[in-house]
Amino acid sequence: MKLRRVSAVARKEWQEILRDRLFFTLAFVVPAMLMLLFGYGLSLDVERVPFAIADYDRSATSRDYAYRFIDSRYFALQGYAKDDRELDPLLRDNKIRVAIVIPPDFESNLLAGRAARVQTLIDGTLPGRAATTKGYVSAINAAFNRERFAAQLARSRGLTLETARDLAEPIRLEVRYLYNQSLSSIHSLAPKLIMFILMFTPPLLTAVGVVREKESGSIYNIYASTVSRGEFLIGKLSPYVAISMGNVAILWLMAVMVFGAPFKGSLLFYLAASTLFVACTTAIGLLVSLIVKTQLAATIVTVILTMVPAIDFSGFLVPVESLTAEGQIEAHLFPAMYYTDVVVGIFLKDIGPSTLWPNLLVLTVYTAGLFVAGYALFRKRPRT
Amino acid sequence: MGRLRVLTAKELLQLVRDPVLLAFMVYLFTFNLVLQGTSVSLQLTSASFLVHDADRSMASRELLYRLRPPYYRLEGEVAHPQMGLRALDRGEAMLLLDIPPDFEEKLRRGETTSVQLLIDGTHTVSGFLAANYAARIVGEYGQEIAMAREGLPGQRVDSMPVILDDQRVWFNPNQKDTWFMPISELLEAITILAILLPAAALVREKERGTIEQLLVAPLTALQIMIPKVLGMTIVILAGVTISLFTVLIPVFDIPVRGSLPLFYGVTTLYVVANAGLGLFAATLARNLAQIGLLTLLIVAPIILLSGLWTPPEAMPAWLRTATLFSPLRHYIDASYGILLKGAGLSLLWDSVLALAAIGGAILAFGIWRLQRQIKS
Repeated sequence: MKLRRVSAVARKEWQEILRDRLFFTLAFVVPAMLMLLFGYGLSLDVERVPFAIADYDRSATSRDYAYRFIDSRYFALQGYAKDDRELDPLLRDNKIRVAIVIPPDFESNLLAGRAARVQTLIDGTLPGRAATTKGYVSAINAAFNRERFAAQLARSRGLTLETARDLAEPIRLEVRYLYNQSLSSIHSLAPKLIMFILMFTPPLLTAVGVVREKESGSIYNIYASTVSRGEFLIGKLSPYVAISMGNVAILWLMAVMVFGAPFKGSLLFYLAASTLFVACTTAIGLLVSLIVKTQLAATIVTVILTMVPAIDFSGFLVPVESLTAEGQIEAHLFPAMYYTDVVVGIFLKDIGPSTLWPNLLVLTVYTAGLFVAGYALFRKRPRT
Repeated sequence: MGRLRVLTAKELLQLVRDPVLLAFMVYLFTFNLVLQGTSVSLQLTSASFLVHDADRSMASRELLYRLRPPYYRLEGEVAHPQMGLRALDRGEAMLLLDIPPDFEEKLRRGETTSVQLLIDGTHTVSGFLAANYAARIVGEYGQEIAMAREGLPGQRVDSMPVILDDQRVWFNPNQKDTWFMPISELLEAITILAILLPAAALVREKERGTIEQLLVAPLTALQIMIPKVLGMTIVILAGVTISLFTVLIPVFDIPVRGSLPLFYGVTTLYVVANAGLGLFAATLARNLAQIGLLTLLIVAPIILLSGLWTPPEAMPAWLRTATLFSPLRHYIDASYGILLKGAGLSLLWDSVLALAAIGGAILAFGIWRLQRQIKS
């Protein structure tokens, strides 16, 4: 392997990228734009759920109950319905996601010391949101019940409302969020966004860049030259790794400066681990480029192969342990999951190589394996 | 008409001759959906937790028993809270429950006690759900104890002045993610392909120079463009058909409650609208590498603003307004409405109208840009 030939190939590739102004600009603009868009737009909080009420009782108690939903920041009242027949089309047409039906004997039942039934209709088409909404409804009901119970205790036993409240709720749950006290989406999202973007942009750039030579036929110059397989691959890939390392730095700056994500760990470790990850995903692009013949196929194959694991099987939106057995296997097959632990650990938990070394080891082996496979698959004499 | 047929056939032929591409498109419309549907759940499932039980009493065991699957999964007990915190550091568990030594004693004496729940806040959604469910479980347990203390039969809540909430989840009663995930994945796949394929078909001609042949042929700009849009729409509709009849309906039992022809109609409208975006991208790009990146730049905001991941209601007001311009938002309303809710045109007319208006505008813009470029 001659360094001179490697650098010649790299220089030629770099020139070619530079001269394609739009491509070169997009190689930096796309990751930054994605970071901006998703950083600002991707909020996983469920708030202001649109809902409607059908109140058959129209009593003071039912109004009091309804106002617990109306005043909550989790719900946004769209209006009162005359009866539950009006609710059906509203739910079907996505105008509301929750409907509350208060029966006619609501107040009289409660005053008589009996249970009152309330019906909540929840739109289940988006199950995650339905689950959260259910949680909100239950919390409001539980608080309402607790207060009525406390009020009853206070009356029957002649206690102050304060003492009665303590009696009604003997166990308190103190919740503390570690690493991200405010449970702010963006703090935990920013490092995961870096993973998401670095998972699919480097292979896309690489795959298309390599296949371009195949499709236009200029690769025959390489086939006919004295450049060896290893020299060509290293020279060809290094500009793409360099671009992606630039993105590693840009994305870090954006996460910290624009989104104010806390960065508790070591910057040096972040750069080192991210370089390893970028090399790994670049190698995925290389492998794709060796399998496909056209740039269109390269684009589609890379997007499928990298975007799906980056979104669903990496801990980006859903923690890996909450996946089914098949999903966990899938997650372990792709590098995204290992890097997520690393980058989240560095940003939010301040943990270093001493804890994260197994993940780094997997990434190293993975990268080496991909490069070996790429080297073996690349033939200077293509089969005809 | 003859020209149109020949040119459309040429586009289809070109696609079919790329076997790797074809294989991956079939994968995208079939196995990919199976994978998504069976493995990803957006609800709280098996949140792993550790417990530090300093009390080891009947009462503390009863509490632990209530934090059970499918929501929670007890990973084990730690002798000291510090050990639990280290496990959370390493990501081995998501929650740590700390029960104080005098838990049962205080409850028996009628005092108030508290248990601590430490949550790994790096998982925002599941962390929130885990706290929410735990608060409900602990609250119910506490109330039962309080009622029992007052000599009230905790089991017979009917005779208590409380609200019994009868929660019903409509359209997807068991909140099956196996309905939601594959459909949303299908819609995303359609979005990407509907932009990328026509754009690539045009730019490929530019890159290889074959566009010159088309320009000297007796064809107008529209006649060059329509076969590409038409060809790719056929391909995508074929993919949708494969998805529906080999995966969505047989594997996931998705109830097609509304009208299938309406679904196909809306899908066609959506694909053509996106093709307009593809044509626009094709006027900006000179080679396929650029198209790949441009497509990402166009697709990301469309998906983000669609409401699939982030509820539009929770967005800031200006962003909420922007979602109305994402064609995917209206397509989602329409397709979930048709497939799961059985909604017809009488309810969905506003979504369809919005889709047609946005789509028409985009397509007109794409055609206009292309015509200008071809003429010059």
